[in-house]
Amino acid sequence: MKIAYSHLIQHIEENPSVSELSKSLFQLGHEHEIDGNILDMEFTPNRGDCLSINGLLRDLAAFYTVELNHEKYTKEIDSLSLDFVNLSDGICPKISFLKLEVDQIPEVYHDFLDNYFLDLGVNKNNFFTDVSNYLSYETGQPTHCYDAKKIGSKFVFHEIESDEEFETLHGKKVTLTGKNAVFSMNNKVVNLAGVVGGKSTSCSAGTKTVMIECAFFQPEAIIGKSVKYDIQSDASHKFERGVDPGCHDNVLRRFINIVNKHTNIVDMSIISYNYKDNPAHQIPSNVKKINQIIGINLSEAEYMGYITKLGFVIKGGLITVPSFRSDIKTQNDLAEEVARLIGYDNISRLDINIPKSDKKNYKNIETKLKYFLLDQGFYEVINSPFVNFSSEEAIKVDNPLDSNRKFLRTNLTNSLLDNLIFNEKRQKDSIKLFEIADIYSSDGAIQKERKLCLIASGRIGLNYEDFSKKINLKYLSNLFYQILPNEDFDFKLLSRDSLDTKIKNEIISLEINIDQFSNDILAYQEISSPPKSFNKYSPISDLPSSFKDISYSVKDLSNMKDLQDLLLGYKGDIVKNIYVFDYFNNKRTQEIKIGFRFIFQSKKITLTAAEIDVVYNEIVHLSLGIKGVTIPGM
Amino acid sequence: MSEYKDISPPELVKDRGSLHPINHMKDSIMNLLISFGFEIINGPEIETEEFNFDMLNIKKSHPARQMHDTFYIENKSNLLRTHTSPIQVRGMLDKKPPLAFISGGKVYRKDDDATHLPMFHQVEGIYVDENVNFAQLKELIYKIIYSLFGNKVELRFRPSYFPFTEPSAEVDILSEEGKWLEILGCGLVNPVVLENCNIDSNKYSGLAFGLGIERIAMLKHGVTDIREFYKSNLDFLSQFK
Repeated sequence: MKIAYSHLIQHIEENPSVSELSKSLFQLGHEHEIDGNILDMEFTPNRGDCLSINGLLRDLAAFYTVELNHEKYTKEIDSLSLDFVNLSDGICPKISFLKLEVDQIPEVYHDFLDNYFLDLGVNKNNFFTDVSNYLSYETGQPTHCYDAKKIGSKFVFHEIESDEEFETLHGKKVTLTGKNAVFSMNNKVVNLAGVVGGKSTSCSAGTKTVMIECAFFQPEAIIGKSVKYDIQSDASHKFERGVDPGCHDNVLRRFINIVNKHTNIVDMSIISYNYKDNPAHQIPSNVKKINQIIGINLSEAEYMGYITKLGFVIKGGLITVPSFRSDIKTQNDLAEEVARLIGYDNISRLDINIPKSDKKNYKNIETKLKYFLLDQGFYEVINSPFVNFSSEEAIKVDNPLDSNRKFLRTNLTNSLLDNLIFNEKRQKDSIKLFEIADIYSSDGAIQKERKLCLIASGRIGLNYEDFSKKINLKYLSNLFYQILPNEDFDFKLLSRDSLDTKIKNEIISLEINIDQFSNDILAYQEISSPPKSFNKYSPISDLPSSFKDISYSVKDLSNMKDLQDLLLGYKGDIVKNIYVFDYFNNKRTQEIKIGFRFIFQSKKITLTAAEIDVVYNEIVHLSLGIKGVTIPGM
Repeated sequence: MSEYKDISPPELVKDRGSLHPINHMKDSIMNLLISFGFEIINGPEIETEEFNFDMLNIKKSHPARQMHDTFYIENKSNLLRTHTSPIQVRGMLDKKPPLAFISGGKVYRKDDDATHLPMFHQVEGIYVDENVNFAQLKELIYKIIYSLFGNKVELRFRPSYFPFTEPSAEVDILSEEGKWLEILGCGLVNPVVLENCNIDSNKYSGLAFGLGIERIAMLKHGVTDIREFYKSNLDFLSQFK
C-alpha cells in the first residue's frame, strides 16, 4: 500500500525526517520501500488495521506524539428508512447506510482531497466515489457509494450459491460461481460484497443523491474472491485482512464532513444494523508472563506505558483490546507488542543450552552411497517431481501449474534421462548422474518409496587411462561388485530409439529402493569429502563449445614437465578446459607421445573456427618453442 | 637427445563428482544444528491439511490454503507440504518435552518465476522446554548466522507474522553491498500450536526457526538465478566440489 510521507507527517508533532520515520516503521515490523514522498508499505497479513493513514499513525504513536483529530459531523442525523434485509448476518454482523443529497456537484476539491489523488497518482472518478476512496485511505474502512436513485425495494444482503451474471462498475462481466456474499436487488446481484460494486447501481458524475454502505464482512467470506474473479480492489485487500467493526459512525460522520466542505447537503439520513453484540476483547494484565515470554524484566508501570501508547486500556487488572486490533488475543500477542516497542534489536540475548541429543544423526547408508558415487565421478542432481504422465499409479495434482506438470513422477530414471540428454547437447561426452528422492504413488492408498537412481553414458573418464573406454553394463556392475559383492543390481541398458539425439553411446541406469542396500556399504571408505567452503560460482555459458586435440612427440624427456606446465596451466578467455587424453611412454624408442584436448567456449559469442585458430596457433607456437617437442604431421 | 630417464607419467586426473549444492548446504546447516543439540526427524512430503495447516494455527481463511498457493492432490484429499513444519507437529505429538528437533527437505508452493520455484528446500528447528524465551531465541539465531556468515556480519530482527509463532521475527543480514537481505523466519511457538500437540503451554514454551536453503545457497555461492540449481547442468554442478 502506498502512503505519502507528507500525509503522515502533518499529524506527527516531532516532524521526523523520512529516514527517521523509516527506521521507526522497520522497528514496528512494517517493511517498506521509499520513493521520494511515497512509502510503499508491505504490511503483514495480520495487520489489516494499518492499511490507512490513521492506522499507521496509531502504530507510530508508540514513538511520536500523534494528532488524530480529523473533523467530523457531530450533529444528530435523521433515521433512514430502507427496505433492506440481511439474510447472512453471520458474514455481515454490522452494516450502516448513509443517504446524502447535495444541491451541486463540486468542481474543485479542497487541497487535502486533491493532494491524495495528486501525490499517490490515483485517478479521480466522480465526487462521491472520490470521497469514498480518500476515506478508505484515511480511515482504512472501505465504503461503497450507490446512486440512491437506482436503489429500489427488496435490497438484500445474502450468501448465494447459484451461478449469477454480474457486471462490475468498471464494466467487467463475470459469472459468479460457488459461494459468494452479494447484495441483490429484485433478485439481481448489484454488488459483490467486499470486492466491487456493480454497474447497475453505480454513481456517475451527475449523481447528487448517494447511498453510502459501510460494512464489516468476515474475512473468510471475502478471501480468494478477488483472485478468483481477477478483480483487484482496495476494498477486498482490506476486508480480507479485517477492518474495524467499531468505526462505522466515525467514518460516516467524517464522510458527511468532507462532503459538507465541498457542497451543500440538502438531505441526510442514516441507519445502522448491528446483528451481534461484539464486546471488546479483554486479556488479564500479567507483566510476569510478558517478561517470561520475552526474557526481560519490565516493571508493571513500564509495561503499561508501552501498551497504552497503542490504544490498549488497562483497568481492574484487565487489558481491553481496541476494536481495530482483532489480531490481539493472547499474552503472546501482547508480548509481541511490547517487544516491537522495545525494538527486537534492543532485547539482550540470553544464554541457551539445548540438552544434547543422544540419538546418532546422519551417517547412514544413504550418505555412504552418495560418497561412493562421488568417488566414481557421479554428480548429484535434484529434479522437480512434476511430470506430464508416468504411470497409472501416478498421483494427480488437482491444480497443476500447467498441463505438463499435472502428475507426480513414479520413477527417477526419466528425469535423469532428460538430464543426460540435456548435458549431451552441451557437448558433454562423459556423463554420470545420480539422484536420491522420495517417490509417491497411489494404489488407492498413498505409497512412499525412497529411491536411488543413477544414469551414466559416454567416456568412463576424461583422463588418458579412461578416455577411450566407454561406460557399459560391465563397467557399472564391476563398480558396485567391488564394494557390494553379495548384492545383485539390476542395471538397465536404456534404448536411444525414442530420444532426440544422434549420439550412440550406451546409456546405463539403475533405479533401486534405498532400503534394498545392506549395511555392507557402511564399510566403504570414501575418498571424497564435503567441500570445506562454499565456492563462489562463476556464471556458465549457454553457447556451444568445441574442442581441438594436439598430439605431441617428446624426445627430450627432461622437457616433459615444461610442456605439461605450459599446456595444463594455459589460461585464455575462451579456453574452458584442458586435459591429457592420451599418453604413451615408448621405452624402446625413448619417446613419449602425449595428447592434450582443449575445450573452447566463449561466454559472449558462438566461436568461429578462425577465432579458435588464433588461440590454437598460439598454443602450438608456444609449445613448439620447447626443445625436443614436435607435433607429428606438422 | 638427453639421456633416457624413467620419467613419471602425467597426473592421472580422476574426476570426482559433487553433492548437489542445495543438499550440501542443507547437510551443512543440519550438521551445525546437530552440534547445538538438535535431533533430526523426517516426515512425508505428501501431507494432510490437518498437519500442514490446522495444527499449525493456519486458519481455513488463510491465503496460503488457497488453490493458487498450495498444490492439492487426489481431489483435495491431501496436499504437497508447503513447509517442513508439519514434521515438527508429528515430532511433538510423538515425544514429550524437553525436545529439540530439526527437519529438512523439499517443500512445494504454487510459484514459478526467476526468484520462486514450485519446489524448494527448507530446514526448520524447534526447541520446547520450560521457560524458553525470545531472548534465548535471539542467541540461537546469532549462533546460527555467525556460523554461516562469520561473526562480523551485522544482523537485525524485524517483527513479522507467522500463524504458528508469536512473537514472530524475520532476520536480515547486511550484505557487503550494504543491502539488508532476509535470511530466516523465527519466533516463539504459538501456545495454540503447543496445545494442539498436547503440550501444556502453561508449563512449556518453545522457539522455532526456518531457513530457505536456496536463498542461503544463492548468497553463499553467488548464484543469482534460483533456476540454475535445477537444470542439472554439469558445468554448474562441477563448480561445487
